[in-house]
Amino acid sequence: MAAVDLSAVAIPPAERSEGYWASVLRRLRRDPVAMAALAIILLIVLAAILAPYIAPADPFRGSMARRLRAVGTPGYPLGSDELGRDMLTRLMYGGRLSLFMGVTPVILAFIAGSGVGIFAAYVGGWVNTVVMRVIDVFFAFPSVLLAIALSGALGAGILNSIVSLTVVFVPQIARIAEAVTTQTRNRDFVEAARISGAGPLTIVRVHILGNVLGPIFVYATSLISVSMILSSGLSFLGLGVKPPEPEWGLMLNTLRTAIYNQPLVAALPGVMIFITSISFNLFSDGLRGAMEVRQ
Amino acid sequence: MRSLALRTVCVLALLQSFAGSAWAQGTLRIGMTASDIPLTTGQTDNGGEGQRFMGYTVYDALINWDLSSATKPSDLMPGLALSWGLDPAEAAKTKWLFKLRPGVKFHDGSDFTAESVVWNLDKLLKNDAPQFDPRQSAQGKSRIPAVASYRAVDPLTLEITTKSPDATLPYQLAWILMSSPANWEKQGKSWDNVAKSPSGTGPWRLTGFVPRERAELVPNPGYWDKARVPKLDKMVLIPLPEANARVAALRSGQVDWIEAPAPDAAQSLTSAGFKIVMNAYPHNWTWHLSRAEGSPWNDIRVRKAANLAIDREGMKELLSGMMIPAEGFFPPGHQWFGKPSFKLEYKPEEAKKLLKEAGFTPEKPLVTKILISPSGSGQMQPLPMNEFVQQNLADVGIKVDFEVVEWNQLINIWRAGAKDASSRGGTAMNYTYFIQDPFTGFIRHLQCNLAPPAGTNWGNYCDPEMDKLFDQVRNTFDPKEQTAILQKIHEKYVDDALFLMVTHDVNPRAMTAKVKGFVQAQNWFQDFSPITMDK
Amino acid sequence: MLLYALKRLVYVLPVAFGVSIVCFLLVHLAPGDPLTAIMPIDATAEQQAQMRAAYGFDKPLPVQYGIWLFKVLQGDLGASIASGRPVASEVGRAVGNSLILASLATLIGFGFGTFFGFVAGYFRGSPLDRLASVVSILGVSVPHYWLGMVMVIVFSALLGWLPSTGAGPGGSTAWRFDWEHLQYIILPAVTMSAIPMGIIARTVRALVADILSQDFVQALRAKGMGEWPVFKHVVRNAAPTALAVMGLQLGYLLGGSILIETVFAWPGTGFLLNTAIFQRDLPLLQGTILVLALFFVALNLIVDVLQSSLDPRIQRG
Repeated sequence: MAAVDLSAVAIPPAERSEGYWASVLRRLRRDPVAMAALAIILLIVLAAILAPYIAPADPFRGSMARRLRAVGTPGYPLGSDELGRDMLTRLMYGGRLSLFMGVTPVILAFIAGSGVGIFAAYVGGWVNTVVMRVIDVFFAFPSVLLAIALSGALGAGILNSIVSLTVVFVPQIARIAEAVTTQTRNRDFVEAARISGAGPLTIVRVHILGNVLGPIFVYATSLISVSMILSSGLSFLGLGVKPPEPEWGLMLNTLRTAIYNQPLVAALPGVMIFITSISFNLFSDGLRGAMEVRQ
Repeated sequence: MRSLALRTVCVLALLQSFAGSAWAQGTLRIGMTASDIPLTTGQTDNGGEGQRFMGYTVYDALINWDLSSATKPSDLMPGLALSWGLDPAEAAKTKWLFKLRPGVKFHDGSDFTAESVVWNLDKLLKNDAPQFDPRQSAQGKSRIPAVASYRAVDPLTLEITTKSPDATLPYQLAWILMSSPANWEKQGKSWDNVAKSPSGTGPWRLTGFVPRERAELVPNPGYWDKARVPKLDKMVLIPLPEANARVAALRSGQVDWIEAPAPDAAQSLTSAGFKIVMNAYPHNWTWHLSRAEGSPWNDIRVRKAANLAIDREGMKELLSGMMIPAEGFFPPGHQWFGKPSFKLEYKPEEAKKLLKEAGFTPEKPLVTKILISPSGSGQMQPLPMNEFVQQNLADVGIKVDFEVVEWNQLINIWRAGAKDASSRGGTAMNYTYFIQDPFTGFIRHLQCNLAPPAGTNWGNYCDPEMDKLFDQVRNTFDPKEQTAILQKIHEKYVDDALFLMVTHDVNPRAMTAKVKGFVQAQNWFQDFSPITMDK
Repeated sequence: MLLYALKRLVYVLPVAFGVSIVCFLLVHLAPGDPLTAIMPIDATAEQQAQMRAAYGFDKPLPVQYGIWLFKVLQGDLGASIASGRPVASEVGRAVGNSLILASLATLIGFGFGTFFGFVAGYFRGSPLDRLASVVSILGVSVPHYWLGMVMVIVFSALLGWLPSTGAGPGGSTAWRFDWEHLQYIILPAVTMSAIPMGIIARTVRALVADILSQDFVQALRAKGMGEWPVFKHVVRNAAPTALAVMGLQLGYLLGGSILIETVFAWPGTGFLLNTAIFQRDLPLLQGTILVLALFFVALNLIVDVLQSSLDPRIQRG
């Protein structure tokens, strides 16, 4: 998925006034689609965080007599699952792990990938060459293949799933970071800073980070959607979360045998993955527009 | 031109299939749960299912299972051996004599003799024999731990010597299938070639297979037991490991029969006119409890409380009725069941009382870790079933955390034992057992000297009284007396609540209404010979 | 041109070498005993050691890698642990099935993707553009395994129009282009096409918009040349990149189809990989990943070279 297209990320304006972030925010606020997406994300996050206080039932307790109820059954607004547990409750709780496992790899990869990419670009020379060739090797694997192969090798589990996805995203972010940094590094204002006697750390901190992290961040937000789909996909294959923990991918998997009895209930966890993933994508698009990162 | 030729071929094929169905009893297509065609050379892989479809179909053992009855547990019956027993001239009770069936031929036309048996045993046990096959040996060797040596006395008499007196030898030999030595020679002494065109003595002949896709079997008209010459024209085996895929294949008419339909699909299958066939068989779904030092299950009150906390009828609901609630380690009605005094009933109040005596309450529960797997041969629906048990136990004051590991990894842990680091402090594991004979049914789980790594007494249970009973079984050669001892053993299993006994599978299979004549034996294996297909 | 191709080829070799190391190490990270799957449940310790030695799992890792690589270079991917058959033939058969599915999915995705992308780019800012954007964003955001499930629910379980799983009647996967077989590929191919469709639509939209905003095109329009030459100009200039993206998508689908193949029990590489993971069949896992990754590398190379020959504007170092 998500082929890294270098043309997708171009250089941000070289110099910014203090009001840059304020203007980004202002533009973002005027983008109704991005704001709607943000609202949905916040709603899902809030529902997940507040689940213990607002969920109508216990996510682990069910009743065999009331298993696989249809959507709209009194007491079960979204039906019940194969163990008679309330679907609405499970979906709310499910957001906790699904969001955590989808977002964490991107954050980790953002930190590690930017570090590696900026370092390689700034040091340059043979170090850069070596780092980028290693990254090329990882690019030789389609990301789904790499994620599943790694998870399959490491074994099922939340931690292993996060590790696999982080490994998948680090090279992608590192490549972007390297490209953006290299471009920035050769720019006049950095050259000027160097001539005026700024130390390398100051240059990285003030000039490079300031101009580089923005585009990398935008790229990273676009990975969250992919990451959500993949991490739930791993659980769907039985390579992620363990039962009885509620997680959307795993719920989708365990409800698969019920598609003949309760097709609507069986499809619900996937709807949640879909909504979350599309909201992150729309928000990321809006952010890109607002930050004037040209597409 | 080419397309015309192609069309002609298609039409011919179509005609042929019409003709076929008009004359004889049709083709039966079976969707198996295995992900591949089981090993075809003789000793099969893929567990009980491999033996069911590729073992007792193409091959025979010296001693076969009697699969003709659905109403009583199946017993051993003469296969390639007509009769067997201890050599009366030998006092140590380790020498057995087998009278072989005369006139039996392999599918390639060669004769079956005592030499063939010796050759086959060498194939599994003798590393330096030219026909030694590591793949078959891996499957067969551990099935016959009692065998020390063997020789052909004359073409129709075989002698087997055991390491020590062991009355369970016939059960062990029922695992060992006889492939044709002549065919192996003919195939250039290569098991890889034999795999493509194998030869046994069984009621079916393998005519071809595509790995991971299908295998085709046709009747062996010269089978020695005329009553068991298959009535079908052809039986096609198709691996469909995914439960939903099996149901879909049955519904769309790609197959006529599927193994293990998902319980949730059962109802919709019945209402769509399919038959669900099931029967008890020697299988159990248990938690194997650790008896290592520090395990909470060393307290009999805790063990009994857990057994009383399980709502087995509720679980039956979960499985759409496709299970038999456990009353003991063996299914109720089994000849070895005996008369245990401890009844496995759903009595949560009594369970709470027992736990309170042991120092636990729902508010201050016993917390412990259990190993489970998300899938596996015979594990039924492990995830929802274990979650169900977890809920039941939580109600009475046992809080269970699951450590979910892959099925193959669980097998590793099972071999390594509860004390091994790989068990990660788990105090029980959800394991389903093939319990068809005294060794697999009782001895291997609980004999002192079979504690890991020597054997598969995972929980390190050791009770001299139990060991004495096991020794008696091995030394009792009279079937009736042996049964009496086995009943005593089973009573002890239940009365001491040595396992968390939950349920027995019923080996459900779903088939179209066209499938006629199938009798589901109370066994892991089945006889496909009497089946016919309606038009 | 030839020089460029050669240059790229030389550059690909170390990558391929790296890929082989990653493939090898990947499966050796794994906990658990690789031989469990084929050992009988009651195998003794001595028997297990014997088997390990027979499969070479008792040697140190670098030695195992050396032996493995040496054999791989001769086209020998070893034998599957679970089935005993050569991995090369197993993977070969599966790659064939996956290729059929992935190609069809790419074609469908490319057709719709270009259409939506073109319309959106051409009529930028119009309601059509917005609709196309929605379609493309749906395509990249949908969890495809779930989409597959929904397709099965609707078209197989509820309507009963199409078979839900497998690649042919009666477990036969000897693929033929007749309706009896084609009906099996429709659901998985349409499901899978959602991924490239979204990405291709996005790419084409950006390309078309970019080309239309060029001074040259503005000039053409100003001269009153009519829309047809402009259209031709856009197609000619957008085609190389669009085709390149399509080529790469084929590679992604081939390697990334495991979830969809699992949902539809399609007997391709993804299904094989899934089996290999759950049976812990190391040689099969290794072989499948290696073949898929190398295929992807080769596809990248071809796309790259073709693109540079189609589009002389692209200059590379």
